[in-house]
Amino acid sequence: MSFLSIDFERHRLDNGLKVVLAPDPSVPVVATNLWYGVGSRNEPVGKTGFAHLFEHMMFQGSAHVPKNRHFELIERVGGTLNATTWFDRTNYFETVPSHELDLCLWLESDRMGWMLPAMDQEKLDNQRDVVMNEKRQRYDNQPYGDWSERLQRLVFPEDHPYHHTVIGSMEDIEAATLDDVASFFETFYIPNNAVLTVAGDIDPSEALASIEAYFGEIPAGAEVPAIPGRTRLDPVIGATVRDTVVTDVPLPRVILGFRIPPYSADAFATAEIARALLGMGRASRFYRRLVREQQVAKSVVTYAYPLMTGASMMLVWGTGYPGSDPAALELAMLRELEGLVDARQDEIDRAITLTETDLVRALERVADRADLLSMFDLYFDDPGRLNRELDRLRSVSLADVRAFVDQYFGVDNRAVLTYVPESGR
Amino acid sequence: MSVIDRSSQPGSGSLRDFAFPAVNRTRLANGLDLRLVRMTRLPVVSVSLFMRAGEDALALDRAGLAVLTADALEGGTRKRSGSELAESLENIGARLSASAGWEGTTVGISCLADRLPEAFALMTEAVRAPSFPDDEVQRALDQQLATIRQRRMDPGALASDCARAAYFAPGVPYARAVDGTEESIEAMSRQTLAGYAEANYRPLGGGLVVVGDVDGDEVSAMVQRHFGDWAGRPANVSEFEVHAAAPERRIILVHRPRAVQSEVRIGHVGTSRSTPDYYPLSVANMVLGGMFTSRLNLNLREEHGFTYGVRSRFTFRSKPGPFQIGMAVGNDVTAPAVREAMGELGRMADAGPTEDEVSSACDYAAGVFGLQLETSGQVATRVSQLQIYGLADDHYDRYRDDVRAVSAAAAGAAAATHMRPSEAQIVVVGDAEVVGRPLEELGLGAVEVVGGG
Repeated sequence: MSFLSIDFERHRLDNGLKVVLAPDPSVPVVATNLWYGVGSRNEPVGKTGFAHLFEHMMFQGSAHVPKNRHFELIERVGGTLNATTWFDRTNYFETVPSHELDLCLWLESDRMGWMLPAMDQEKLDNQRDVVMNEKRQRYDNQPYGDWSERLQRLVFPEDHPYHHTVIGSMEDIEAATLDDVASFFETFYIPNNAVLTVAGDIDPSEALASIEAYFGEIPAGAEVPAIPGRTRLDPVIGATVRDTVVTDVPLPRVILGFRIPPYSADAFATAEIARALLGMGRASRFYRRLVREQQVAKSVVTYAYPLMTGASMMLVWGTGYPGSDPAALELAMLRELEGLVDARQDEIDRAITLTETDLVRALERVADRADLLSMFDLYFDDPGRLNRELDRLRSVSLADVRAFVDQYFGVDNRAVLTYVPESGR
Repeated sequence: MSVIDRSSQPGSGSLRDFAFPAVNRTRLANGLDLRLVRMTRLPVVSVSLFMRAGEDALALDRAGLAVLTADALEGGTRKRSGSELAESLENIGARLSASAGWEGTTVGISCLADRLPEAFALMTEAVRAPSFPDDEVQRALDQQLATIRQRRMDPGALASDCARAAYFAPGVPYARAVDGTEESIEAMSRQTLAGYAEANYRPLGGGLVVVGDVDGDEVSAMVQRHFGDWAGRPANVSEFEVHAAAPERRIILVHRPRAVQSEVRIGHVGTSRSTPDYYPLSVANMVLGGMFTSRLNLNLREEHGFTYGVRSRFTFRSKPGPFQIGMAVGNDVTAPAVREAMGELGRMADAGPTEDEVSSACDYAAGVFGLQLETSGQVATRVSQLQIYGLADDHYDRYRDDVRAVSAAAAGAAAATHMRPSEAQIVVVGDAEVVGRPLEELGLGAVEVVGGG
């Protein structure tokens, strides 16, 4: 449909930096978004959590930008900024009033090209403390906080890069050195391993000239080394694997994980449709049957992770009520998963209609546009995929869904993580 | 390739001016306040219906009733079951939301513009003809009870709940959690909810906002058709004065055995949305803890590494809401973190922000304001605030000028009035055996240890 067509143009600098420009003069705002092809999957044994710690170090200044200045300058112009680290990538982004584009380009290029001169032990010690407090706040001091660590261990073998979490282990974070920072920077933070998208109120030729001026002199790096460990793996786990945790949690929770095809596979669209039928919206099967009708779950959550390396993961979780039996909850969830073989076309149509609204909503923000364009360019060398998202989902047939259920929801591909409240609570 | 000077920041381009989108305000014959904003960038629309059915009008034995009623609204209408309502909405790609807070209940629709007539009709049906079936009410009730239980075991939520009760005197609604207590929720039934909605889902004192790629005349006609015969004013009225729980500083340590981190809240009763100090106080708070480069965050995170992040905030409500600093800190640095936070609070209250800090914060506030008008949902939320807090029609047109007009002296005076370290209630949820003595040794006052939940 016409409103899903986002105009963009692509360029590539001589140093290999990929550039996507998406002009939209209807708002006085510009978003810059830089995706680097590095994430927790690139961490070798003993360095878990480093990609994320490194992301923090990227805010500690660069040759021409003192510590904290990046935040100060962006906030001063009324902008917002942040960064996130995930399995396959790390992204950095700013949104500012459109007359301040050059400020973002200057800051991002300075840390892409000239980060290391600004690094010192004090900054590393400080950010290690910050990250360890982040881990405590978001994982260790939270009920169910270790679920991702436990589930990934069940779904991916020990030598696969998704076996460990993005936040990593305290021991590894603590062991990080300045040498690690330098070698990580030189290996991964190179223009030929990145996509820069600029979206919003820009003149594309002026923006490109500025990008050339700020990023053009950064030298290309060597080809990024192979991902450590074994990246090819069987399409399914091979068994039903379990982890039951009796601990200090308020309510029972059952988390089911399934190994599924990677985001790059055609079959991933089927995984997305299956997920939507199960858990997207309040007419979905889990919500209707488990939450509304049977009332065995207080809430349900479903995800199909868009992961790129060898395989990906779908997960569904159900949280029970005080005193409810986790085994009964698990059984009810499995019944819905297996029952998806009788999926109907009207359910698929509804999921696609809802996805359409959500997608148009996301495209209202130039920051979200930029993020999606960067992702599609980095992952698929194809930012235009953004304009074909719905077609990709529409191509999924009922037969595809049935085959998917048979292949991926069976007893040979289930990770079952159960949290049971300690008695007496 | 042109040669650039990397050693200094680039100059700004030419500033593009922009205005807050025009708001067309009308009033239906029944008194319903209708505000329309046409935004044609994408074919979407956001609808927000605010009714003055808020938790702040409910006595303690009815606490959580507005929240529960809003949650149960999806349970169905006189024409269709909950699942049929969900299907009708989602088949056209519409999302319906309903939630209640202190000030009132907001029901919203988000959909593509060409689906608005159907989506709006469904929203009207949910608001005006809810059926509250027994099993759906029971579910909403069980969910809310389970949520209350979950919060007791979530250290951050527990800290916020304990802090509220430490700031506000018993009997002030703000002293309790907005979604009620186990006792109040357990006593509710289908009749309670149906009676509440019948008496309180009324147009006067509220308003309807429609933002998106729509035709004003068509929307007005549609609203008239669905809500023209809707009448009345919510029966429950907010009648209380805000009092502090304690006049003196206290340290309350909520014992959570084996906690690996402490959740800290420091605060006291703040002020209301209608305060004449709104802008200077907002600016002073931005400098203290309202931005990444605030004094608190630069000190506690970037200098000392005590925390992943620390923020401070005045929650402005129709009546004085809380002022609060919040952070999660390591066990070994809990006491030093409290010391530093209290130090920054004292310094701000005593001496105020500097000229440079104020100009930076004003620029931030004025700039960010413009960034947050991209989506129809953002604009709808803003316009709805005008109705909720009775702000002037030109409030947003003047916003950037008003915030830029704040002087350092005004911000300092506002900080001195509204930030009061000697009245601060310091609430720590952590392992008392580890953090108790160091907190005692700070000399900020005696530490009162209480059990965890």
